Amino acid sequence: MNSIANRFSTTGPLSELKKVQSFEDDEFADSAWGSEAGFGSLAKGVPNFTVPSVPDPSAFLRLHTDDFADPNCRIKIQHGTTTLAFRFQGGVIVAVDSRATAGSYVASGTVKKVIEINPYLLGTMAGGAADCQYWETYLGIHCRLHELRNRERISVSAASKYLSNLVYSYKGMGLSMGTMICGWDKTGPAVFYVDSDGTRLKGDIFSVGSGSTFAYGVLDQGYHWDLTDEEAQELGRRSIYAAGHRDAFSGNTCNLYHVKEDGWKFIGNYDISKLHYDGPGETPGAGYGYDVRIERTAGAHVVAQA
Amino acid sequence: MSIMEYNGGSVIAMVGKDCVAIASDLRLGNQALGISSNFQKIFPVTDRIYLGLPGLATDVTTLRETFRYRVNMYTIKEEREIEPETFAHLVSSTLYERRFGPYFIEPVMAGLSRSATGGFKPFIAATDLIGCLNFAKDFVVAGTASSKLYGVAEGLWEPDLDPEQLFETISQTMLNAVDRDAYSGWGVVVHVIEKDKVTTRTLKGRMD
Amino acid sequence: METSFALTGKGYVIVASDTTAARSIVKMKTDEDKIKVVSPHLLMSYSGEPGDTIQFSEYVERNLRLFHIRNNYSLRPSAAASWIRRSLAQSLRSRKPYSVNLMLSGYDVTEEKPHLYWIDYLGTMTEVPFGAHGYGSYFALSLLDRYHDPEATLEEGLATLQRCIEEVAKRLVVSPGKYKVKVVDKDGAREIEL
Repeated sequence: MNSIANRFSTTGPLSELKKVQSFEDDEFADSAWGSEAGFGSLAKGVPNFTVPSVPDPSAFLRLHTDDFADPNCRIKIQHGTTTLAFRFQGGVIVAVDSRATAGSYVASGTVKKVIEINPYLLGTMAGGAADCQYWETYLGIHCRLHELRNRERISVSAASKYLSNLVYSYKGMGLSMGTMICGWDKTGPAVFYVDSDGTRLKGDIFSVGSGSTFAYGVLDQGYHWDLTDEEAQELGRRSIYAAGHRDAFSGNTCNLYHVKEDGWKFIGNYDISKLHYDGPGETPGAGYGYDVRIERTAGAHVVAQA
Repeated sequence: MSIMEYNGGSVIAMVGKDCVAIASDLRLGNQALGISSNFQKIFPVTDRIYLGLPGLATDVTTLRETFRYRVNMYTIKEEREIEPETFAHLVSSTLYERRFGPYFIEPVMAGLSRSATGGFKPFIAATDLIGCLNFAKDFVVAGTASSKLYGVAEGLWEPDLDPEQLFETISQTMLNAVDRDAYSGWGVVVHVIEKDKVTTRTLKGRMD
Repeated sequence: METSFALTGKGYVIVASDTTAARSIVKMKTDEDKIKVVSPHLLMSYSGEPGDTIQFSEYVERNLRLFHIRNNYSLRPSAAASWIRRSLAQSLRSRKPYSVNLMLSGYDVTEEKPHLYWIDYLGTMTEVPFGAHGYGSYFALSLLDRYHDPEATLEEGLATLQRCIEEVAKRLVVSPGKYKVKVVDKDGAREIEL
């Protein structure tokens, strides 16, 4: 009944949809072919997207992307991830893993899950990879516009609110992202959690993704505000290792960033298996792994006895 | 959620020149959560037969116990060790006994069978979860990483490898295949079976 | 949600289990003991389907006792674990399976070593240096990877356990309130106040 009503109504969602589509066909079709890398429609204001012409577009999308309900579905969106960010005396530490899985297949081990929005802002990626990448890049554009208009950098709070409002306007359409917007502004170091439900939280410690619980386990126990820079970086790395080890859908490598007053700095890329056996340095046997650690202390006991 | 993927794990067996090799990962998981990195899935049946049991972990233990019992009974009754071909049929019929409520295991076996001239001939076989036998001349795979194992093995395996080369081939196949599978890994164990000895090595694999 | 932890140390195993008995959204009881002393040097923590847990743990307890009466010695932890696992595995393919998750902690008096077995309702069993069941395991396992020491003294072991309990209390939405803690070592099993 509803679908019949929709077909003939001029105000229903379907007709709105059709309007949007015909609008885009006429006005923006060419921009997609240009060199604007998909952001071309921004020249005309807010971007808009083609939507499948079915009564319920988000249900249609879910039908084809929900690999949990149907492992044979056509489009598999990246799910497993571990990302974390925390605030401390010396700034913000951002650490993420680099695994992308499609079902049980490890599709990539070299994904960049930290998005460098601008020299002072970082965003992390969990959930839909494309959603995070697109919208955080889009956020970067608007942060720059804010700078040009107001002659000062956007605050982390404002930037995250911008993103939050944006994804909220697409609520129910199938966007999937859980991200931390991290940076340094007038107020000092700041971390905001933003997700596609529209949640936006300010806080000191966040971890997002399938391996987040494992990361929290190590992070919470080792965290305090007065951590030195080195200790904080080590804690971030150790927590991502913990998640990479225990969670099947996280792993491969750890990317570590440190945000300070003068912007973010990329600290390094660490192979999680190397962290297991040898740790972050070049000392064989100095790894984080449980068995590796126990063997090390057992060796120390023997030396002590002798 | 598939029962076959609940605990994760994979096994591969390969034929060489007068030798066979069998390898498995060591992970025991509860779906995405890793529980143990020392869960053996390969068991010796006789001095010259090894059996790999990838699949649901409860059935790994149950079947290991069942086969130990049945092989012991066979040895006592026949007063000789079981031959790989005979054992393959024992595996097949044990699984088919549960045709309508199967064990969720796809066994892989590797061994050396005694030939008429008194020498030894490499033997590998695998079955599906209700006991359909597959005798292969090159390699057999099973488990959550089976599709990845096929790909790598197809590229690396060649005929008449000596024990050291076979060890290298099966190890590289296993290590690289399980790195592309979320449910397998956490260490690898390899057994190379020759006529007078079995060499078992635990490999340093990725732990994520 | 039900949560239990167990960890081995130098000559002992510590087991902790939450004490809530819930039905629907109601906590029916907050001091329920879910760790049974099944034989002098053997502890079994259980969680899962209400009814099944009690029935199965008592079945195990009675059978281990029967073995003791018949043979005048107790099963060693590894033997008891195998028997319990087999009972669960057989039950899994019966008309009405027990859905009980266990952690079996024992001290082997002949070998003079502590043992810990992680067993789930399917009959999956593995020996581990530390283990956890329930949602708590998602927080505690990574923590134990970092802090557990199989050569730790009892005090150090309890401090590590305390970390697990605090972490779960901090992060788990439906975290349990109180825990009961028991230890088994060469002197047998006993309860410990944290």
